[in-house]
Amino acid sequence: MDKQYIARGVKRCSTARFLLWIAPWLALLAFGLYSAGLCLVKGLNQTNMDNRFAFGLWIFLDLTVIALGAGAFFTGFLLYILKLKELSAVINSAVVIGLVCYSGAIAVLAVDVGQPLRFWFTFWYPNVHSMLTEVTFCISCYLTVLAIEYLPILLRNRKLRQVPSFLVFEHELHKLVYVLAGVGTFLSFFHQGSLGGLYGVLRGRPFAFREGFLVWPSTFFLFIISAAAVGPSFILLTTWLVEKISRKRLVRPEVLQLLGRISGLLLAVYVLAKTVDTLIWINRTSPDAGFPAAQYYAWKPFGTWILFAEIVLFGMIPALVMLTPRLRRRTGWLVSAAAMACLGVALNRFVLTVQTLALPTLAFDKFLSYWPSWQETGTFLAVVAYGVLVYSVSFRYLQLFPEERELKAEVQQEQEELRVMAGRY
Amino acid sequence: MNSTRRDLFKLVGGSVVGAFFTPAPWRLIADSALWSENWPGIPRPARGEVRTRFTNCALCPAGCAVRARCVGDQPVALMGVPGHPLSHGALCPFGLTAHHLPYLPSRLKQGPAKEAAETVSAAISKCGPSEQVAVLDLRPGRTASWTYRRAMASVKNGLYLAPPSPLGGSAAFDLQEAKTVLSFGAPLLDGWGTPGNVIAARENFRLIQAEPLESRTASLADLWLPIRPGSEEALAQAIANVLADRRGQGLGGAPADSAGRGQGNLAAVTGLTEQQITSVAEELAHNGPALVLDGGQAPAAMELNRLLGSLGRTIVARRETPVPEAWKKAAPVTNLASVPDGSIRVLLIDESAVDGYLPWGTIERKLVRDNPLVVTFAWSRQGYGRYAQYVLPTAVYPEVFDDIPPAIDSVAAAFRIAAPLVAPPAGMVNPSEFIGGLAGLPAKDALRERADAIHKAGRGTLFTYAGAQSTAVRDMNPDDFWKALNEGGCWLDAVDESGASHRFSWPANADDEKRSSAPPEDLPLVAITCETRAAAAPLSPLMSKLYQESNLRLAANHAVLNPVTARACGVAEGARAILQTRCGSAQIEISLDSGVPPGVVKVAAGAGMIDLCGGPGGHPTRAKVVVA
Amino acid sequence: MTSEKKPGKTARYGMMIDVDRCTGCGACMVACAVENNIPPAHDGADDRNGITWIRVFQVDNGQDYPNRRSAFVPVLCQQCGKDAPCVAVCPQQAVQVDPATGIVGQMPERCLGCRYCMAACPYHARYFNWWDPAWPAGMEKTLNPDVAPRMRGVVEKCNFCHGRWHAAKQLAAADGHAIEAVDYVPACVEACPTGAIRFGDLNQPESAPAQAAKNGNCFRLLEKIGTEPKIYYRSKKDWVRQIASAPKPGQIAPKLAGKETSRG
Repeated sequence: MDKQYIARGVKRCSTARFLLWIAPWLALLAFGLYSAGLCLVKGLNQTNMDNRFAFGLWIFLDLTVIALGAGAFFTGFLLYILKLKELSAVINSAVVIGLVCYSGAIAVLAVDVGQPLRFWFTFWYPNVHSMLTEVTFCISCYLTVLAIEYLPILLRNRKLRQVPSFLVFEHELHKLVYVLAGVGTFLSFFHQGSLGGLYGVLRGRPFAFREGFLVWPSTFFLFIISAAAVGPSFILLTTWLVEKISRKRLVRPEVLQLLGRISGLLLAVYVLAKTVDTLIWINRTSPDAGFPAAQYYAWKPFGTWILFAEIVLFGMIPALVMLTPRLRRRTGWLVSAAAMACLGVALNRFVLTVQTLALPTLAFDKFLSYWPSWQETGTFLAVVAYGVLVYSVSFRYLQLFPEERELKAEVQQEQEELRVMAGRY
Repeated sequence: MNSTRRDLFKLVGGSVVGAFFTPAPWRLIADSALWSENWPGIPRPARGEVRTRFTNCALCPAGCAVRARCVGDQPVALMGVPGHPLSHGALCPFGLTAHHLPYLPSRLKQGPAKEAAETVSAAISKCGPSEQVAVLDLRPGRTASWTYRRAMASVKNGLYLAPPSPLGGSAAFDLQEAKTVLSFGAPLLDGWGTPGNVIAARENFRLIQAEPLESRTASLADLWLPIRPGSEEALAQAIANVLADRRGQGLGGAPADSAGRGQGNLAAVTGLTEQQITSVAEELAHNGPALVLDGGQAPAAMELNRLLGSLGRTIVARRETPVPEAWKKAAPVTNLASVPDGSIRVLLIDESAVDGYLPWGTIERKLVRDNPLVVTFAWSRQGYGRYAQYVLPTAVYPEVFDDIPPAIDSVAAAFRIAAPLVAPPAGMVNPSEFIGGLAGLPAKDALRERADAIHKAGRGTLFTYAGAQSTAVRDMNPDDFWKALNEGGCWLDAVDESGASHRFSWPANADDEKRSSAPPEDLPLVAITCETRAAAAPLSPLMSKLYQESNLRLAANHAVLNPVTARACGVAEGARAILQTRCGSAQIEISLDSGVPPGVVKVAAGAGMIDLCGGPGGHPTRAKVVVA
Repeated sequence: MTSEKKPGKTARYGMMIDVDRCTGCGACMVACAVENNIPPAHDGADDRNGITWIRVFQVDNGQDYPNRRSAFVPVLCQQCGKDAPCVAVCPQQAVQVDPATGIVGQMPERCLGCRYCMAACPYHARYFNWWDPAWPAGMEKTLNPDVAPRMRGVVEKCNFCHGRWHAAKQLAAADGHAIEAVDYVPACVEACPTGAIRFGDLNQPESAPAQAAKNGNCFRLLEKIGTEPKIYYRSKKDWVRQIASAPKPGQIAPKLAGKETSRG
């Protein structure tokens, strides 16, 4: 029915089948929008956040998806600035993922703040000392950049490119792609960093507080490195997932391996930097504030296992796997390592958001714990559903994987040959 | 000139650009921030002329002086009056938030006053020869109390009942004189007497607090004796033994041995060592003047005062505030315990001013078996309204027009009026007018008559709050005296030169509870109530800051157990449970604290809890905790 | 480090809280709520999401009965020095250290409700309006006209009753002189029956807080973090002075450390 919207040379499932796929996600989105609506209309008492847990599931979610969506800027940087041509196979998918992650994060932020209508205050009365101002500016600008980067992908749709002015516009825009990539990298560098800086500057929370370079705490740089490390991993993961779900070959294995190698390299750098940073924090920064580091891990359930899990289990191990060529070539190992790397970064964001707030700072505080309410979880699931829906629609109607046609032809040729060979016997 | 569409666009475009050079858009932008703050539903405080008015707080016998900041006629803040000779500017959290009380949602707005009056009159006339009509006055000593006594004097078989007070009303504790104070659980630093007076005197004395729980007073005392629950009598006896021995000691003589072995037993009951008890007794004896206070658990503690010679030093006789001669023909004050069971046909309870709730069980058994008539005058149904046939709504402070009797630590008699700061709503019943009306007594001007009687007696001074000045009563005319009392003032008696302490007689022990020696097996725990003030008294919603939005005070129907005891009962932190006593059961919520002694359940008094767990002063009761 | 300023020019208001005198009555908590139009608890509110600009904590020496000893510590905004953690982090500049008084002021009208300042504050002195304020019918008549009630979604905290300072300044100006330290006190100081909370200008050496700064029995909470709070606490008891430092599981912290209170 909608065949005219689907690109030539690629096969997509029937409309009915597609609707069957998006139906549950639409339902989830509806439920999520209802949850978010409750929070907006009735107030944030619908969540389980409180004065101790000022940040909860949503902030953790925001930080994680922005880290995972870093693949968008980093792939652009690698492709357009460092000229790694193989990555053109995944750049479109990366942009869509980035767009989905960032727009989802901003949507959740709109629900998370107490007074969403006052969003413009940050632009009107900016505080140059605050990391959050920096985050707000850069994320808003970067979302604009992503939207502009998405536009050409959208305009290359089979039906839309029949409009001449769109075609011209898209062509002109493509000339700007290097500028966009550069601007995107610059903005991302700063907002990924300042997301880390959010926690690193908290002098009142010695668990999160770090020394650093000039005004930037070490977490600024650690967040950039970890985001750059996990961006390619997430693209790897999603590409493999889409290949599995759509049962098509979308990229050459070499591209995934390249992504894995880049990710592994950066992850190794990150693990090294994080280890050094943790040692400095344990031995100097935290004790200087009067908080011996060992006591953070004496509050159940956050024992030292969490530090081990973050740095070794979900950091060093996937890095080593992805740096080993023999293991990289095995899809199972590669994808598992990528997933573990993503989990590791999610764990890092969780530790800095939730564990920081759970730990007491005053001698007469209690250790408190927090579990999100169903409204919070619903809103989170709305973002997931939104992401799947946008990606599904983009995958169906837009050409996210330029190599797909080639690979399809190759596959058909292989099958032809097999049939011929079978026919001989 | 031909204007084209382009010209129009240019005009509009230029205006838009130009507008940004005017203040208009910037003001709109800034104003939108204010609009986003003031959504409908957010109340705007009323503005008006700010005035200061004075009154006295009627929530408890301290009767602290109150300075009210009013907008127009509406009080918006209450504070103490610095420099006041009794309260010294102190006001407790209940008094600070009292201007909210008229707006409590659970407040009764109407009641069948006429019908109740008719029913009561009919019931009185139909009383049998041995049946009695009684008024239970929960805050004796007021002018309204005199009205009740006079009314009961003229009603056949009329009784005036009041809960017993530690010194019988004709004496007071003089904290300023004390050098050592031994308190058997009296909440000296948590609402006892006049808080401002206690605080002012605190530097002068060493405080020894003997009680099972580490209460606020215990945590701030100079010495806390963590005795076992129910062992106050034993401790008092043991100390008395030591004091008696010292007395009986001749020059250089050894202490008598007769108390030796008994002393060991007594010490074991309290959980203290003999040395500890001896050292406390020595301190009382040598570091005088000493004073022994009782929280209601050990009337025998008063005996210690006699042994220590407190009378005339730290316990002083106090003259009564003058009353008109005509009033002296009044019914005597009767103790509820001395009333024969099943003899009261009609009971009228004045709950509008409460010093302490009596457990319903102690009242109920004095009522006749068949259809007794109970009428209560209260602000809500939460108190005795649960058992009464008629609940008649009364004004709440700061609407009331009542006087406050002198507190237990006020060495001079005092007369202060709680002058109303706001008008009570229509439909409120004035208990003294109602009860006075039954006996044909006009009670409307009782307070004026009392003030006139005080003025006539000619002694004492009037302290006015507005100017913080003291004037001798002799130097005022009655109208000015009355006016000053209504605008924030306090009459204080002169020092009693006649040395009338010999006229003082110790009140009889009012202990009607027979304590069994062996704890019953089915009730293995001891329940100790706390926060009795909050039990049925009207509470401002802002008190949630203390009871709900912080852990500072234990919320009603919440209980605390030692973790060992909790495990034995099978309950965990945050669990719902049932507290059972001989008198009934109630739902409670558990929290754990290893600072609470094992075997004790500390429970905050809710509306029904006093009925369950005993009388004033957190009287320990045998209890059991089971999972809900 | 106190700057040499002429008295009456700029002040640095602070407090000296005598823990040995505090009886834990809570008068300060309710007087603050009355003065600042803080709404009563909503249904379902508890000590984790209620609003108590000043909150009295019961601390203890970590021992079991009968060796348990408790004390009461009022905690409010510590009015940190010029590098207050919450000032730097607010993206809208809704928090400012007032140069004339040293008071850390919060503008609820500017607040976006992002709660970053709440994460930054180690003293848990900041409170978020999780609900719209609601008073029982008729009780709005008792609101203080000098303080605006806040709606939901904004952060608020103690500001040393800044409105009273303004009123005192106006009165002083009408009388033709500059505001003196004695001209104004916050509501909690006025209400405290035991006089445990003393208020004054740290720039004036004879004020109670300035004296406390030099007293060996006085301490500030979490001094090593470098927030330079202006609230001094005083106690003669050694174990009480321990509460100034970081939490130690199983020692000073209540015995329920490790036993979580969870919501959800």
